[in-house]
Amino acid sequence: MSDRVRSLTTATLIVVMAVALLFLISTQPATVDRVEEIGARIKCPVCQGESIANSPSPMAEDMMDLVSERVAAGFSDQQIIDELLSSYSGALLLDPPPSGNTLVLWVAPVAALVVGLAVIAWWKRHPGPAEEVSVSPSGQRSRTRLLTGGLILVATFTAIVVLAGNSLQDRAASASGAADLGDQDLADVSNETMEAVIEANLDNPEVNGMRLALAERYFEVGDYRSAFPHYLVVAEDVEAAPAEAITALVRLGWMAYDGNGEVETATRLVDEALAIDPESSVALYVKALIRWCGRGEAEAATRIFEDLLGDPELETETRTRVESDLRLAQDGEDCQ
Amino acid sequence: MLAFLGSAGVVSALAGAVVLVVRGIRVARGGSSDLVAPSRLVLASAVIAMVAMELALLSDDFSLAYVANNHATTTPFPFDVATAWAALEGSIILWGLILAVFIWATTLKYRSSPDRLGAAALAVMGGVAIFFFGLMITVSNPFEVCVEALSTGCAASSPWPLAAAAVPADGPGPNALLQNHFLMAIHPPVLYVGYVGLTVPFAYAIGALSLGVPGPEWLKRSHRSTLVAWSFLTLGIILGGWWAYEVLSWGGYWAWDPVENASLLPWLVATAFIHSGLVQQRRGMLQAWNFVLVISAFALTILGTFLTRSGTINSVHSFTQSAIGPALLGFMVLVLVGSFTLFSMRSHLVATSPRIQSFVSREGSFLVNNLLLAVYAFVVLIGTTYPLLLEAFTGTQVGVGEPFFNRLAVPLSFLLLLTMGFGPVTPWKGAAPGLLWRRLRGPTIIALAAGIVTALVVTRVGWVVLVVTLGLFVSSAILGLLLELARSRTEKSGRPLPSEIRTVLGNDQSFWAGQLSHVGVVLVAVGIAFAANLPAHLQVELAPGDSVDFAGYTLVYDSPFRRNEPNRVVQGARIDVLKEDRRLTTLEPRLNFYEALATTVITPAVMTQPDGDLYLTLRRIDADTIDLDLDTSPMIWLIWLGGLTTAAGGFWSLAVRRTERATERDRVVAHV
Repeated sequence: MSDRVRSLTTATLIVVMAVALLFLISTQPATVDRVEEIGARIKCPVCQGESIANSPSPMAEDMMDLVSERVAAGFSDQQIIDELLSSYSGALLLDPPPSGNTLVLWVAPVAALVVGLAVIAWWKRHPGPAEEVSVSPSGQRSRTRLLTGGLILVATFTAIVVLAGNSLQDRAASASGAADLGDQDLADVSNETMEAVIEANLDNPEVNGMRLALAERYFEVGDYRSAFPHYLVVAEDVEAAPAEAITALVRLGWMAYDGNGEVETATRLVDEALAIDPESSVALYVKALIRWCGRGEAEAATRIFEDLLGDPELETETRTRVESDLRLAQDGEDCQ
Repeated sequence: MLAFLGSAGVVSALAGAVVLVVRGIRVARGGSSDLVAPSRLVLASAVIAMVAMELALLSDDFSLAYVANNHATTTPFPFDVATAWAALEGSIILWGLILAVFIWATTLKYRSSPDRLGAAALAVMGGVAIFFFGLMITVSNPFEVCVEALSTGCAASSPWPLAAAAVPADGPGPNALLQNHFLMAIHPPVLYVGYVGLTVPFAYAIGALSLGVPGPEWLKRSHRSTLVAWSFLTLGIILGGWWAYEVLSWGGYWAWDPVENASLLPWLVATAFIHSGLVQQRRGMLQAWNFVLVISAFALTILGTFLTRSGTINSVHSFTQSAIGPALLGFMVLVLVGSFTLFSMRSHLVATSPRIQSFVSREGSFLVNNLLLAVYAFVVLIGTTYPLLLEAFTGTQVGVGEPFFNRLAVPLSFLLLLTMGFGPVTPWKGAAPGLLWRRLRGPTIIALAAGIVTALVVTRVGWVVLVVTLGLFVSSAILGLLLELARSRTEKSGRPLPSEIRTVLGNDQSFWAGQLSHVGVVLVAVGIAFAANLPAHLQVELAPGDSVDFAGYTLVYDSPFRRNEPNRVVQGARIDVLKEDRRLTTLEPRLNFYEALATTVITPAVMTQPDGDLYLTLRRIDADTIDLDLDTSPMIWLIWLGGLTTAAGGFWSLAVRRTERATERDRVVAHV
C-alpha cells in the first residue's frame, strides 16, 4: 500500500469511528431526573450558594419534597420553579435567564472570546516585524496603547468610585452597623435586605429584633415556611430577651397548630412560653385558642379568656378580640 | 509578654520592609546600599511574630484576644498549632511570614548577582510587605490584649501590648469545621505559599517596567518562583477540595463556597502566564500580554483574600463591618491602577510582538490556550462577583451557580483539553505538512476506540464519554511523542528503547514535567466527569439490625455509639458494608458536637474502592433509628490523584537543574 492509500484508509477509519461514537452518545436512553434537574437550578435559601438538590439542610429537603410532589402531579418545570421562588424567600434561580439584569453575565464572556479571536486574527495580519524582537520608538502605536491604558484606568476608577459611594451609603442607611440594629426603624426595609442583614449578623444578639420583625411580616401574610426558621432561631437562643423568646415560642406554637394541626407540639411550645412568663397575655390567649380550636375544650378556653379580660393592662385591640372570642366560646360555637 | 514579643516582631518587620523599599529604590536608581540586612530583619521579625503566636496557643495564653476567641484548652494537637491561621488576624501573620521567606529567597538570588532589576523587585516586595505588616498593626492586629473577659472568650481588646490583661479561663476553640480534619491544618499554608509566591513575578514585572527593561530578563528571574507558586496553588486547591469532600459532604463543584472560585482565578491566570511566558522566552512574543497576566494574577490573589476574608461573599452588607474589607479592596485598586499606569507609561518600550508565522505551531496553540484560559478566568470572575456587584449597586439579588458555570466552563474545558492534545506535538514556528497528521492519527484512533468502549461497556452519558475520549487523545499524543523521539534515537544509536526513553526524558525535563501536569489535568477531568454525572443516591431510615442494598453493596446498621473527647462529643453509627456476603469494612459516619461552639459537624464516612467511593452521611441519630444518606462518588479518587500529579509536574520542573544537560541538538529534536 502506498502512503497515500494508507492515509486514506486511516482517515476513513477515524470518520467511521467518530460517527459511531456520536451515534452511541446521541441515542443514549434519556435518564433525566426532573426532580434533581429542577433542584439543581434553585439556590437553597439558608445555604452558601448551594442548590437545594445538593444541600443537606432541612429546608432544602423540604423544598425538594415539594418538587417531587409537583413533578408527580404533572406540573411544568416553570410552574414548579415559580412556586418555589414565590413561596420561599431567599430562594433564587441559579441559572439566570439571559435577560435584563443578567444579560451581561451571558454576553460578556462570549464578547470576550470574540474580541480575543479578533485580536489574534488582526495580529496575524498586522505588519509587525516578521521575526526578531524590535523596540518600537514612541510613536503612533504607543499613543494608541496609552489611550487604551487610559480608558481602562478611567473605567476602573469609575467603578471604584461608584462602589465606594454605594457602600458608604449602605453604611449610613440600613444594612451594616452592627451596634444600632436594635434602634432601627424597620418600616422601610425590604424583606430581602432584612434577610441579608440577619445573615451578616448571625453572631450579633441584637439581630433577634430584626429576625422577629421579619418573621412577623411573613407570619402576617401567612408565609409560615419563611417565618419558621427565624422564630426557631430566636426561640432556641438562650440569650434572647424573654419577651422575644415568648413571641417566638407562641408563634411557633400557633404555626404548629394552624399549619400542621399538631396540637401536642403547639401546647408544649406555648407552655414553654408560659414557663418564662406565666402572665404573658399573648401566650395565654394562644393557649386558649389551641385548647378551644384544637381540642374543643370551650370551657377551659372561656376561663382563660375571662382571666385575660381581668388584666387591666391588656391592650385595647387584644381586648376586643378576646371579648368576641369569649362570646363565641360561651355560645358553644366552633372557633374561627 | 507574648503580646509584646509578637507586636515587636510585627513592628520591626514593618520597619525592615520600609528600609528595604527605600534602599531598594536607591540601588535601582544606580546608587549603592545593603539590601541583605533589611530583608534579613523582615524574615527574623516575621518568624518572631509567628513563634509568639504559636507559643501563645500552645501555652493557652488567653490574655491574647486572638487566642481567647479561637482556641480552647481542649483543642487537640495539631489543631492548636493550626489555630494560628484558623481566623483572619492569625492568617495574616502566616501570609506575612511566607512573604518574608519569598523576600529572603529573592534576596539570596540578588546577593549572588546584584543588579538594578533585582533591587527594584525587592523594593516592590518590600512595598507589599508594608501593606501586610501594616494590616497587622491597624485593622487586623493578631496581638491585641484582652481587656474584658467573658466566661469563654474575650469581649473587648486593646491594641496596646502592655495593657492590663483580663484573662478568660478558656476560649471556644477554633471554628468547628476547621478542627474536624487534619487536612485543614495543612491546606491553608499550602494555598498561601501559592498566593504569596505570585508576588515574586509581579515584583520583577513592576521592577522591569520601572527600569524600562521589559525584555525577557524578568521572566527568567521569576520563573522558579512562578513555578513554586503555581505548584503550591495547585496542591492547595486540591487539598481544599479533598478537605471539603471529607468534612463537608462537598456540595458541588462551583457553588459550595465561592472561596473555591477565588483560588481558582489566580490559578487559571498563573497557568496562562506559565505558557505565555514560555512563548516570550522562546519567540519574543506576547511581552505586553505577560505584563497584563502577571499583574492580573497578583491582583486576583488580593481579590481572593478580599472575597474570603471580608465576609462579602456571605452578604454584600457585611463588607463594611470590618475594616479589612475596604483595606484589601483599596490595596487591590492601588495595585491595578498603579501597575497599569506604569505599564502605559512604559508601553513605548514594550516590544511589538513579531508576527506569528502560522497558527499551526507551538506558539499558535499557546495563543489559543491563553485565550481559552483568559476567557475561563473571566467567566469565573464575572460569575463570582456579578451577583455581589449587582446587589451592591441595585439591591437586586440574582443567583449565579452551577448551571451557569457549567454551561460556559464545560465547553471551554473541552476546548482546553483538545488544545492540550495538539500543543505539545506541534513544533515551534510551524509544523511541516503532514507532521501533525502523522503524530495525531494514532492517538485519534486510540481515543475514539476508548470512547466507543466506554459507551458500550460503562456508560453512554455524553459528557463522560467525551471526556474519556479527549483524555485518551491527550495522553496518547504525549506518550506517542515520547516513543517517537526515543525510537528515532534507537535507530541511530542502537541502544535499547527504555534507555533512550530515559535519555529523551532527561534531556528536556521541564518539557516532560509540563506533560506530566497535562496528564494530571486529564485525570482530574475524567474524575470530575464520572463523579458528577454517574453518582447514585439514596436516603434511608434504619434501626439497629436493618440492612439496605445500595449500588451493589449491602449495608447493615450494627449499632450506635457515643464517646466523649476533650473538645467534642462524637455520636455515630456503625455500619457494616458487605459485598456478595463478604464483609468489606465497618464505616462510622458521625455527628461531632462541639459544645463550646454549640455546633454540630456532620462527618461523613468514606470507603474508597477502585471504581469509586461509598459515602455515608449521618443526618440524624437517636436511640431507635438513624437517618442515613447513601451516595456513591464514581472514580472520584482520580480527581485527587490528578491534582497531585498536576502539582508533581510543577515540582519536577522545579527540581530540574538549571544547567540542563540537554544539548541544543536534543532540544531541537524534542520540539521539532
